[in-house]
Amino acid sequence: MKALLKLSTAVAVFALSAHMALAGPKAVSGPGADPQCFKPWSNETKFFQWDAKPGPYRIAVVNGFVGNTWRIQMIKTAKAFAEDPAIKDKIKEFKVVSTGTDAPAQLGAIEDFINQGFDAIVTIAVSPDGFDRVIRLADKNNVVIVPFDNVLDTDKVMQVNEDQLAMGRTWAEFVLKELKAEGKTSGKILEVRGLPGNSVDRDRSIGIHEVLDASGGNWEVIQVVGNWDDGTAQKVSADAIAVHGKFDAVIAQGGTTGVVQALLDAEHPMVPIAGESENGYRKLVAKYADKGLKGISIGQSPGLVAISMKAAISALEGNVMPQLISVPLPVADYTELKDGVNYWTDLPDNFFTVNEFPPCGVNISGPAIMSQSEADVK
Amino acid sequence: MRGTNLKRWLLQNVGFGTALLLLAVLYISYNMMHPRGFSSAVAVQNANETAAIAFVAMAQTLPVLLGGLDLSVGAVMTLTSCIASHLVSGSPAQILLGMVLTLLSGTAFGLMNGLIVVYGRIQPIIATLATGAVAVGLALLVRPKPGGDVDGDLNWALTNSVFDFADTYGLADGGNAWWLRPIANVPVPVILVALIAILVWVPFRRSVTGRTVYAIGSAEGPAFMSGLPIHRAKIAAFTMGGFFAACGGLYLAIQTSSGNADIQQAGAYTLNSIAAVVLGGTSLLGGIGSAIGSIVGAMILRVISFYFRILDIDPLLQPLIEGVVLLVAVSFGAFRTLRVKNKLDLFR
Repeated sequence: MKALLKLSTAVAVFALSAHMALAGPKAVSGPGADPQCFKPWSNETKFFQWDAKPGPYRIAVVNGFVGNTWRIQMIKTAKAFAEDPAIKDKIKEFKVVSTGTDAPAQLGAIEDFINQGFDAIVTIAVSPDGFDRVIRLADKNNVVIVPFDNVLDTDKVMQVNEDQLAMGRTWAEFVLKELKAEGKTSGKILEVRGLPGNSVDRDRSIGIHEVLDASGGNWEVIQVVGNWDDGTAQKVSADAIAVHGKFDAVIAQGGTTGVVQALLDAEHPMVPIAGESENGYRKLVAKYADKGLKGISIGQSPGLVAISMKAAISALEGNVMPQLISVPLPVADYTELKDGVNYWTDLPDNFFTVNEFPPCGVNISGPAIMSQSEADVK
Repeated sequence: MRGTNLKRWLLQNVGFGTALLLLAVLYISYNMMHPRGFSSAVAVQNANETAAIAFVAMAQTLPVLLGGLDLSVGAVMTLTSCIASHLVSGSPAQILLGMVLTLLSGTAFGLMNGLIVVYGRIQPIIATLATGAVAVGLALLVRPKPGGDVDGDLNWALTNSVFDFADTYGLADGGNAWWLRPIANVPVPVILVALIAILVWVPFRRSVTGRTVYAIGSAEGPAFMSGLPIHRAKIAAFTMGGFFAACGGLYLAIQTSSGNADIQQAGAYTLNSIAAVVLGGTSLLGGIGSAIGSIVGAMILRVISFYFRILDIDPLLQPLIEGVVLLVAVSFGAFRTLRVKNKLDLFR
């Protein structure tokens, strides 16, 4: 270790000087570029502008945990989008690493890419805090960091996410609309929640209850915890049906395929349902919609990574960007479902269907992602 | 004479020697491939990433030397980082007090582990499995949601080179003093790990208690018959483990300016610490190895993952490759089986 230390010291150059002027984005006033795609979160959202850099750019994706369908699909989407003709010419080098749930490793990977001279780093943070140092370094080196999905508790970086509160509201509004069409203004609703303690779970549930409370109807909401997982959601839904008999509607945050399966297994009558964007759920809605399974499907899309990459490139080109970007919710209800367009009977049930964001020019379809083999990118 | 001494040292420390060589090869070729290799910035980044796991690997070494395992080291690191995220802020005196309290809390937790193992007569692996869960539970109580405000200057100063440290606090002419020159580019975490190793580990290893730890790992019965302080050594080993884990937790909190009671992260650090200990040439049977070796092991573990950022390796294949490389690296330690003269040596 000592020899190494001497070596690294001896050969070291004065690379990281503390006297470098603090660069980074300027806070400017809006509106930002391409507001259809890069929609500011709210009216109070600040706007950033970086100095324009000549392209093409070097972009890295630093993922944390890997090992569920969503994350794998996210990585595949990122690779597919990097090859998309719309941005292919703007990217010189593209790298993806997964660090696991290890904060120092993720911070280290981000810092390493800054050191290597990458222009933008897109990341799903393993923790909402602790990025002060890399943000400071990124600003010094004019590197754009874009956290998405699990965003940071800071307004110093540009971030991309979907509005979870709005998702919950839209679900509840749809279910109320369908119930009203059946002539019901009160009744029993099954709410299947996500991972406890997670801000996404909290916000979605708040959105649901806001709308239900505001409707004035006498809704009895039975909450069960499904962890966004098909197996868990199916089990807890089956239990709830066994105990409570009959529900007038179902709102599930995730694991929706399992929830519908539980309804089918219990021979529960098909009722209006709101759920995530799993392919299996959409298949079932398409199949049973005329029997009463009138469903809406909204999802947290793995395609967020593509919009984050696009936002990073736009920022590097010197455009004015909102600090917090709200990606439009990808919504499809039972009237809009079409095989081969927004769900695929030949793809697995746990595939996440929402990948396309037409206002952003992100048009990578499901099959295109699934056919993205490891060899294609090299 | 000198030649024979070196030869004897090498023969006695094959595992450590191999690890050192492996690290040198891996790290030098990493730097040669890195666009900014051999620079202070790269060394600083590497050191930051390695510091916490190096401390936790040191913590794991002592129970392993006893012939046991401590499954609570990652959890103690998480607990102490959550405590530090509350205490390490305010005036310099408050910051210092916060650091001392953080280290004390981890040490106390280690002491508790030791007392349970010695007086409860419970196997270390089971005792620490339970106390590890307790530590994570306490961490969740201390910090139910990630956050905290560790002093920003401290974060910047301790995660950079010595020059930036001096510059931040206006010491040694803002880092320009002549006597600071030779070490100005050395990352602060390297110095912190080295200081703890030299000031805490080395004296402990040379004490009767420290030597007893080795004796227990080699053969507990004879150690007892020789009148060595068995109980004291066991308790001391777990207490020291708690202290080193607390060093890791404190550094993690300063590095991230916050605390996060992340259960998965705690588990990952415990498992990685065992891998680092084995990589560093310490025998899981006890009695052979050192905390310095574990630091080297932790560095090897990290350097392997550094390669994914400079090479074009498919992201979905990275965990597989990391596992295979790790397996190969650990297998180096098994080479000694090739030169045993007597099969009975294998049971050693």
